[in-house]
Amino acid sequence: MSDKKRVSRRQFLNYTLTGVGGFMAAGMLAPMVRFAIDPVLQKQEGGTMHSVISVDEITNEPQRVEWTVDQVDAWYESQVQKTAWVYNDENGDILALSPICTHLGCTVDWASNDQYPDQFYCPCHGGRYTKDGVNVKGTPPTAPLPVYEHEVKEGMLYLGDSKSRKGA
Amino acid sequence: MRFTKADIAQYLPEKEYIDTVVIPLVPFDPASDQDMTKQGYLRELNHIFTNIIEKEYRGRIFLSPDYHYMSRDHDSEVERINKWIDHYQKQPFEHIFLFTFDMKWKKHENQLNGELLWVPGLQTGDLQSTETQSFVKEQAHEISEFIQSYW
Repeated sequence: MSDKKRVSRRQFLNYTLTGVGGFMAAGMLAPMVRFAIDPVLQKQEGGTMHSVISVDEITNEPQRVEWTVDQVDAWYESQVQKTAWVYNDENGDILALSPICTHLGCTVDWASNDQYPDQFYCPCHGGRYTKDGVNVKGTPPTAPLPVYEHEVKEGMLYLGDSKSRKGA
Repeated sequence: MRFTKADIAQYLPEKEYIDTVVIPLVPFDPASDQDMTKQGYLRELNHIFTNIIEKEYRGRIFLSPDYHYMSRDHDSEVERINKWIDHYQKQPFEHIFLFTFDMKWKKHENQLNGELLWVPGLQTGDLQSTETQSFVKEQAHEISEFIQSYW
């Protein structure tokens, strides 16, 4: 071993301290970085779309479609049945309405009351919604029926989460 | 509505709208092997029915915790049921329905202070089969229409 290649005591201590310091810094920073970018790594829950009906079957008249989703609810994992009223509106666009009454959560029906043949009707307290899901003033509900996110792929209608809308 | 924290919190300020209670009457007798099979099945079926009804009309119907009883002696149970009903009426709930598959209650119907919904249920069967499912859905629909006729 030549003298030139020998590491002096001072150098050796320098290397060791830098090395150990570096490890310690990395050890402290790594979790912080992980926390900072955590929302990006988060798996997206509930954002999945479910195929419910063939687009050809959708008419101008609202029809009931049903599908099930897996729902994790803190303690329980369960299959939940979802329902939507699906139809083509006057512009030919697909509209998928949630049947959950915005008053207290009953399930509304299309044209189930003879007096209001072209409205959604809630059997619990007589809440009514026009065909586009907007609540009729003077009835208990204070907001329109929520709308499902939808997309059309290969001739099938896919529905995602329901989004609530502002009151009328 | 159910007997859970979240639902009760929603119920209390909206009392005037939720005026109907459904109490499931569920018999059980852990002393008899033979009865247990049948009773377990009927309990499950009872929950399926009452859950469908609760889901559809949760804004007006409160689903009570199950009323369990030993299946032998219906006479002595009448008083205890009426006590439950009495307490519900203090809320005040206006319409009290007792949902059961146990036909022995039919005889005691006029001693009960609530409406007895006795349904001649399926005695055995596969709850997963699509036939049972569509049958149950249809029957549950009929029952809710019957409840609606009281509103």
